[in-house]
Formats: sequence, structure tokens, C-alpha cells
Amino acid sequence: MIEVSELTKRFGAVTAVDGITFTVRPGIVTGFLGPNGAGKSTTMRMILGLDRPTSGTAHVNGRPFRQAPAPLAELGAMLEAKAVDKGRSARNHLRAVGATIGVGRSRVDEVLAMVGLTDVAGKHAGGFSLGMGQRLGIAMALLGDPPVVMLDEPVNGLDPDGILWIRGLLKSLAAEGRTVFVSSHLMSEVEQTADHLIVIGRGRILADMPMGDFIRQSSQHRVSVMSPDATRLAELMAGPEVVVATADDGSLVVEGLGAREVGELAAANGIVLHQLVDVAPSLEAAFMELTAESVVFHGSVDQQAGSAA
Amino acid sequence: MSEQQAFAQGPEGLTDGFTARRTSQWRVLRSEWIKLLTLRSTWITLIAIVAVIIGFGVLSALVASGSVTPSSSNGGGPPTEAMRRNPLNTVMSGANLAVLIVAVLGSIIGAREFASGLIRTTFSAVPRRLPVLWAKLMVFVGVLLPIVLVAIVAVFFLGMSLLASADAQTVAWSDDGVARSVIGLGCYIVGLGVIGLALGTLLRGTAASIGVVIGAVIFVPALATALLPESWDEVLKYLPSNAGAAFTTASQSGGAMLDPGVGAAVFVGWIVLAVACAAWVIKRRDA
Ligand SMILES: Nc1ncnc2c1ncn2[C@@H]1O[C@H](COP(=O)(O)OP(=O)(O)OP(=O)(O)O)[C@@H](O)[C@H]1O
Ligand SMILES: [Mg+2]
Repeated sequence: MIEVSELTKRFGAVTAVDGITFTVRPGIVTGFLGPNGAGKSTTMRMILGLDRPTSGTAHVNGRPFRQAPAPLAELGAMLEAKAVDKGRSARNHLRAVGATIGVGRSRVDEVLAMVGLTDVAGKHAGGFSLGMGQRLGIAMALLGDPPVVMLDEPVNGLDPDGILWIRGLLKSLAAEGRTVFVSSHLMSEVEQTADHLIVIGRGRILADMPMGDFIRQSSQHRVSVMSPDATRLAELMAGPEVVVATADDGSLVVEGLGAREVGELAAANGIVLHQLVDVAPSLEAAFMELTAESVVFHGSVDQQAGSAA
Repeated sequence: MSEQQAFAQGPEGLTDGFTARRTSQWRVLRSEWIKLLTLRSTWITLIAIVAVIIGFGVLSALVASGSVTPSSSNGGGPPTEAMRRNPLNTVMSGANLAVLIVAVLGSIIGAREFASGLIRTTFSAVPRRLPVLWAKLMVFVGVLLPIVLVAIVAVFFLGMSLLASADAQTVAWSDDGVARSVIGLGCYIVGLGVIGLALGTLLRGTAASIGVVIGAVIFVPALATALLPESWDEVLKYLPSNAGAAFTTASQSGGAMLDPGVGAAVFVGWIVLAVACAAWVIKRRDA
């Protein structure tokens, strides 16, 4: 269990985390989603006690992490994969840090096997690929068999196999009753894994709800309709609950009416339809929309330009 | 003791009977011990330290006793008057070089984890942080002090016997102030390493801390002593290297130096100051 309360972190003039409050519960995977610079890593660093909060508190299993009697066995975390000494082997890296809670060789080898690094356990970590480094970081997080696991962008640099593996791992960790907290800046990465979603943008919580609710809330269906008589159709569909927009290709995008209603309306008025499609927005789109105003770093090319109506 | 207390934290599942133990100063010490000994560079540096202390000491003794004639242009010819007159300095010439290596090693041990990012893993495992600093210091002193002392005492007897066999002037272990200054030099070397380690954690960069410890702690006092007017001498005596010189040289040259005991106390004061600053900063700064 992770409980964050009124947590704020300022770096000089930048407010990286702005009074956020949330709880991460055991037994499920909680996705921590936000665009670049939203404050995910900063929040995680404060939970770990690496960064000192400007104000507010973060508790792990009911107390500040600093007070944990065996920290590595209470919260296993991976912040950056490459937080290792390049000159030390993977096995010695785990052995050294694990020694703080009395971890022995057999446990180290067990964890190395779990993440698939047995063959390179004796190799210097400096020579590891991004994916191998990521696996070593996950091994460190699991080393103490902790009830709380916190991973910052764990799928970064993993190949499709690795991504599948991580998804399975996160689910099984949660199924064992652990608290699993995973950050990402892509909805597609947590869509199939997370049971609960916390969305952060510019240091503020934008959504904190079960994944199912988020999906339901964001699947406001839209209908795309193409007709040679678009103008008349648009006039006929107009109403207080209905929003009609014209897309690039001249089709109408209708919000507030179903495909069936649009089709029947057209037939009743003798309007020819060339196309009538139900459009379910992707979760990615819903997430982007939610965080649109809070994106810190916009690309230099205006992203709206390409899709402007 | 709570040492044996087990924490059955995690739910059943991934492990075959692994139980975590309470994180204690002892376990953090073990962790730092493993860290130090699993880097090849540590072993290379330790061998270099012993080789420099003994190798240069023996070489100087041979040169001073006339068995070997240096071939370089300015150092050539018969042994100099100074070498003849100060056999202890001759034999300890390697130790004076080793000061630099040990100070650099200390700086690297202090700063290395900050450079690699490993420190965030370390502080996640020991969020109270200070035990990490204490452990690093204990491991450093525990490894280096015996090695440096053994090498330095060995080169003393080796060097003196070489000088004696060539009928050059020697000093005996039992002579006034000799044992004190030899042991003192060993402690001074390791003490400067400790200051390096503290500066390394303070500045978080190997290059910066090496620069500061060698520049400001070792060379600047020597330079200042040479360049500043005599009225400054009272103050300069208290600088780390000059305080160190007070207990690492056998012969007292009048009032130019502190008493050995006072010098040692002042030097320890510098170490405590450096470590205290490091502890304060480690505790407060974001990692
Ligand atoms: N040590 C620091 N000093 C100054 N500013 C910082 C520091 N760390 C983070 N920030 C700022 O705080 C904000 C949040 O950064 P953070 O790294 O927490 O974002 P994030 O959500 O993890 O982003 P990403 O997806 O890119 O990893 C950013 O504006 C960043 O520039
Ligand atoms: Mg981040």
C-alpha cells in the first residue's frame, strides 16, 4: 500500500508535483500515466525518500519509507535501469545491495533466473543492452520479495517479447496480493495490464479511477458519415445534444447520435449515404485529450496542423 | 538482538523460503565491503599503493647508499647531501607519493555512486542514508590502514637495512620520534583518503573532489607556506598538510610546526569537519 497525501515538490520556480493525493492498493496493478515531465518520476522519488517533498507526505505500508526496518523487503523499486556501477557484474551488484537485508547467493541467482539474466550474471553490467539493464533493474526490485513493487517506465527499451513478459510479471505480482505501481507515458503500455489508473499532468492528478470506468467514460461513441448531401444532413441532425464537425475528407463526425439514428434519419429524408461508421476513440486518444492542456513539452511542429478540419 | 529477527513481508509466491533481515549498520557494512571488493580497480589501486610505498622507498635507499646511480640529468651523480642527512625521508619517499593515490582512491569511492546513479539504488535500500556513509568510511579505513601501515613499516626496515649495508646514515625504530612519525605518516595517508572520500560524497564528482583534495588540501598549504610572508605562519600551521607534517616528521624544526600531539589533534579536526559536512549534505540533499 502506498499513500500519498498533499505531496508537493518544487525545483526552484518549477512545481514538478503540485499537491497530489492518491492511494495505491494491493492486489491490483495501478498504472501511473502522464506525458513527459508530468511529475511521475519525481513522485516516485519522493515515495522512496530520494527527493525531499516541499510539503506533504508519502507513506509505504503505513509509514514513511525511511522508517522501514528492512527497506528493500518492503518496497522494491526500479527508477532508472542503468543505475548500476559499470564495473561490477550483475550478480555482484545484486549481492552487494541485497546484503543490506541479508540476501544470500541463492536468492540472487533465483532472481537472476526469474528475469532471464542467468547467462550473463557474471558479465559487467556496463556492457548490458538497454533491455538487459531493464531486467537487472527489475531483478533488484524483486530481490527482497517486497509486498510493494514500484517501476518507472519498465517497458522502455524492451522488445515485444520483453513487453509481454513484463505484463505477465506485473499481473502475477498483483495476483499474489502485492501492490504494483507502474508508470508510463503511453496508454497503450498500461491499457491491458492496469486495473486502476492514475493520470497526472503538470504535477496534478487528472484522473484516479478503475480502468473500466476510464474506458466507459472515454468511449463516447462518435459516428462518421459521408454523404454527397452533407450540408442538408448536418442541418437535419442538429439538436441541443448533438455536435457535428466536418473532417478533412468532407465526412461529418457526429457526437450524440448513434449510427442507427443517423441512418434512419437519412433514409426518412431520402439522403444518399456513401459511408456510415461507428468510431470508438482509442484509450490513447482519450488519455491525450485528458492531458492535452497539461503537456509540458509540445513538439516544435504544431500537432494540430495535420488534422485540422 | 534484532539481527536474527526475520521479516516475512512478501506474500507467498515467487520465492522458496527467502526471509529478509532487518537492515542494520552491520549489514550495510557488509554491503559496502562487497561493493569495494567486487571492483577490479580497487585491487589494482591497492597493489599500486603497496608497490609505490615499498618500490620507491627501496629505490631511494639504493640511490642514497650509492648502490644505484640515477641516470637522469639533474638527479645524476652521487647521492645528495640532503639524502644522506635524512634517512627517514629517503626511505619514506614512496609513502609521500602514495598520499596522492590514496586521496584519489578516497575521492573515487566517495563520488563514484553519484556519477553512475547507483546511489539511488543504494539509498532506496538504506533510506536513512547515514549508515551508508559510515559503512563506506569504515570499509575504507579498515582496508587501507592495515595495508598502508604494513607497507610503510616494511619499507622502513627494508630501507634502513639497505642504507646500513652501504654504511650510510640510518635511524633506528627506537630513536626519538621515529616510530611515531612512521606510524603517523601511515595514519596521515589514510586520513587524507578519508577527507577525499568525504569530499567525494560532498561534491558528487570524482574529478572535482580529486582536484579539491589534491589541490586545496595537499598543494595549496605547501604553496602558501612558501609564498606568504612569515607573519602568516601561525595560521598556516593549522592547515591539514602542515598539521600532518607536525606528526609525520621525526625532527622538530623549532617553532615552525605544531607539537606532534597538537598537529595530530588538528588533523583529526579537519577529518571530522569534512565528514560532518558530508554527513549533513548526504542527509539533506535530494539524491
Ligand atoms: N532535479 C530536478 N531539478 C529541476 N527540475 C526537475 C528535477 N527533476 C525533475 N524536474 C522537473 O520536474 C518536472 C517533472 O519531472 P519528472 O521527471 O518527474 O517527469 P516525468 O513524469 O517522470 O516525465 P518523463 O515521462 O519524461 O519521465 C519536469 O518539468 C522536470 O523538468
Ligand atoms: Mg520519468
